[in-house]
Amino acid sequence: MSSVEISALRKRYGEAVALDEVSLTAQQGELVTLLGPSGCGKTTALRCIAGFIAPDGGDILADGVSILATPSSKRDFGVVFQNYALFPHLSVAENVGYGLLFRKCSKDERERRVAEVLDQVQLGGLEHRLPRELSGGQQQRVALARALVIQPRLLLLDEPLANLDARLRDDVRWLIRDVQQASRTTAFYVTHDQAEAMAISDKIAVMKNGRVAQFASPREIYQRPVERYVASFTGEANFLGVQVERELCPGRFRVRAGSAAFDVKGAGPFTPGTKAVLLARPESLAIAGVVAGQLQGRVTKSVFLGAVQHCEVVLPDGASVRLGVPPDRSLPPDGTVTIKLDVERAWLMPEVAA
Amino acid sequence: MTVSRVAGSTLIVLLYGFLLIPLVAVVAASLTAGDFMRLPPEGLSLRWFARFFQRGDLVEGLLLSLQIALVTTLVTGVVALMAALASQSLSRRLAVWFQIGMTLPLLIPELLTAIGLLFFLYKIGLGKTVLGLQIGHIVMAFPYCYVSIAAALRQIDPALDDASGSLGASGWQTFRRVTLPLAMPGLVMGAVFAFITSFDLYTVSLLLKPIGGNTLPLALFDFLTYEFSPTAAAAATMSVLLAFVGVAVIQKLVGLQRAF
Amino acid sequence: MQRLPRLALGLPAVLLLLVFLVLPYAEMITMSFRASQPGAMYGLGFTADHYRKVMTEGLYLDALARSLLNAAFITTACLIVSYPIAWHMSRARGRKALLLYACVASPLMIGVLIRNFGWMIVVNVDGPFNRALLAMGVIDKPMRLLFTQGLVALALVHVFTPFMVLPINNALRNINPAVLEASESLGVSRFATFWKVIFPLSFPGMQPGLILVFVLATAAYVTPALLGGQMVSLMPTLVVQTLIGTFDWPLGAALAVMMATAAMVVVILFSLATHRLMERVRA
Repeated sequence: MSSVEISALRKRYGEAVALDEVSLTAQQGELVTLLGPSGCGKTTALRCIAGFIAPDGGDILADGVSILATPSSKRDFGVVFQNYALFPHLSVAENVGYGLLFRKCSKDERERRVAEVLDQVQLGGLEHRLPRELSGGQQQRVALARALVIQPRLLLLDEPLANLDARLRDDVRWLIRDVQQASRTTAFYVTHDQAEAMAISDKIAVMKNGRVAQFASPREIYQRPVERYVASFTGEANFLGVQVERELCPGRFRVRAGSAAFDVKGAGPFTPGTKAVLLARPESLAIAGVVAGQLQGRVTKSVFLGAVQHCEVVLPDGASVRLGVPPDRSLPPDGTVTIKLDVERAWLMPEVAA
Repeated sequence: MTVSRVAGSTLIVLLYGFLLIPLVAVVAASLTAGDFMRLPPEGLSLRWFARFFQRGDLVEGLLLSLQIALVTTLVTGVVALMAALASQSLSRRLAVWFQIGMTLPLLIPELLTAIGLLFFLYKIGLGKTVLGLQIGHIVMAFPYCYVSIAAALRQIDPALDDASGSLGASGWQTFRRVTLPLAMPGLVMGAVFAFITSFDLYTVSLLLKPIGGNTLPLALFDFLTYEFSPTAAAAATMSVLLAFVGVAVIQKLVGLQRAF
Repeated sequence: MQRLPRLALGLPAVLLLLVFLVLPYAEMITMSFRASQPGAMYGLGFTADHYRKVMTEGLYLDALARSLLNAAFITTACLIVSYPIAWHMSRARGRKALLLYACVASPLMIGVLIRNFGWMIVVNVDGPFNRALLAMGVIDKPMRLLFTQGLVALALVHVFTPFMVLPINNALRNINPAVLEASESLGVSRFATFWKVIFPLSFPGMQPGLILVFVLATAAYVTPALLGGQMVSLMPTLVVQTLIGTFDWPLGAALAVMMATAAMVVVILFSLATHRLMERVRA
């Protein structure tokens, strides 16, 4: 239960840069997710925090004190591993109680705390099973209980849901969030799944090639990404190439896309006359009859999904956008439509990352 | 089609028979109630085992063999476990070379190792001593032990080390509570291999044997050169029994397919 | 972090093999250049005479050639015996596979001497083999098989067969069954599939088996000594006689080094010759 500050963390493996000046903070009780594709450095960062590997540079502070010199076994961090890493020769209760063996803790107290935490993760009654006799979801909950029972200062979770099937994933994710919040444990959570990250995090660090591309709340990351990479990694995204005309007021710009002009929000600064990228999530676009919209286009694909139909629309400049249409709405036979953009939900970004 | 299938099956049965015939012959011959080495045995009895234990030279050989095999097992077990643990911190490439180095005594003919040791032990003053013979057995049995233990350690998920450490265990505590219990089947298998290898070793023993001392295989060889009686079969049967106990232990612990 | 202390655990093993394996080999080579001296293990000074002697005297050259040919013959015979067993094993599953493994592996756990002795019992003059043949009327008086080259070869093949079966079995198990189905679906006969697909793909198992058996067969001592009755002079028996019979250590060492070198040359030539095939099937 502490705050963590990571500053300018660096790690190289030979030529490959795994971490490049990674800085993050987690306030006490927050769950911070490291999100990115494989090889982006998120697991390396987590292993540095856990103390399994030593960074080449930078610092990690817990409650303002550097922990780099503290070995993993003295950090008091609970780690949940991607493949669970349960001890195959120990029963569920022995696995969970393992960490208490090395702490001042009587046998009675150990048993009490193990029972308590097993209850918390809904595994009561399975104390004497061996890990191989459990389902994947149960194993995952044992791993979580084992990390929690030591009342860690920090909880580290490495792709904890990756080996579960989709149905179980939601349950275990809720459980993780619940126990994390109930115990007010600060946590770092590594995943490559944006939906998972959105659902569970207080803050998300989107990582790219060993760098943090953006570190912010899930809402901010989704609605106001700093670059294309972040936008496309955090959900379905359409990008329109636009030209900036002028700044209307701080944070609002008039841009031109072909013949249409929009007044959109963006972080700026943008120099008038330069090219920029307009992010339009599918929900900010709508098909608007023949004349009511601002963008001309032609529907090239549509799939009916029940609650919604997904369409792909090609614009005159050749770019294509994806959007949702109410399922009862019929499309014109020749496919010619106009598209309306909800400017309040669009977001202007620079062409290349700052 | 059926003809070729029958021929194929016959061939397979014959080949497996070929592998097992000498073992069956030894055991069957030792159980005879008759006075001669003859198959099938003329009645069943254990009298030749009793006779074996009355032969001083063979019993002395048995005792020396057991003693040397036991020490070999203990020493190779500890040294091989340590080496296998060390190999875990090597990179993949280096670990392969390390393994080749550790199994050298297995890859080069026993006769050559025996000759080298004959000269070397003589030079350092251990020629014709029990200790010298013991060293020879340890060198020859070491690779079997190492390979079994290293294979068992490779099966252990490296994340378990991290997990144990992150939960507060020191390196030694992790070894005692996680690594050792998980490596135990491999350790036992290595011990079985080491014991049996040492117990059966012939060429190394022939060249390094101490003055006046014989291991069981040496005594048996000498015995066979002047007497062809079921006593020899009884002596040999002990070796076969030992092997079957070994195979059973290994099967119970790790499964044969993974062992060989 | 704890890399260094952990590596140090390997020290005893490294020392064991350095001192009692590598140094003895160095000692063997040194010994082969020492002078002989009747009445002692070796004399003072160094000489290359033993090698000259070994390379020029017919007795030694014959023994060397015979040993290598013998080993080559045994290796080939081993392959012929082992391949069907390995094939059969590789197709078995479950309990049956386990039983077959036990059949192949059990002989490995039993000393060479014991196994040789088993053959002595079987082929003895009034042993079961002779009596079976007599009963079937194949022969009219028992054959004398003990102390013949044929028996030595048979026993050696028996000793080394497991070394060949196990790696071939592994290689066969590693062949993707879809490859065979693909071949058959293309209309290739089973026979042709075997020669064109299975046999080459199992080579990664055959090559180490062949090398190991050849090396071990070249230097096998017990079997020729027990079953050959010292009559056929092969290199290993010659070496041991020189060392513990006549106590001429330098000459014995030179013979051993010659034998090892010759076997190594054959192995290297074989590896070079099969290098391309190995590369292809590995890829």
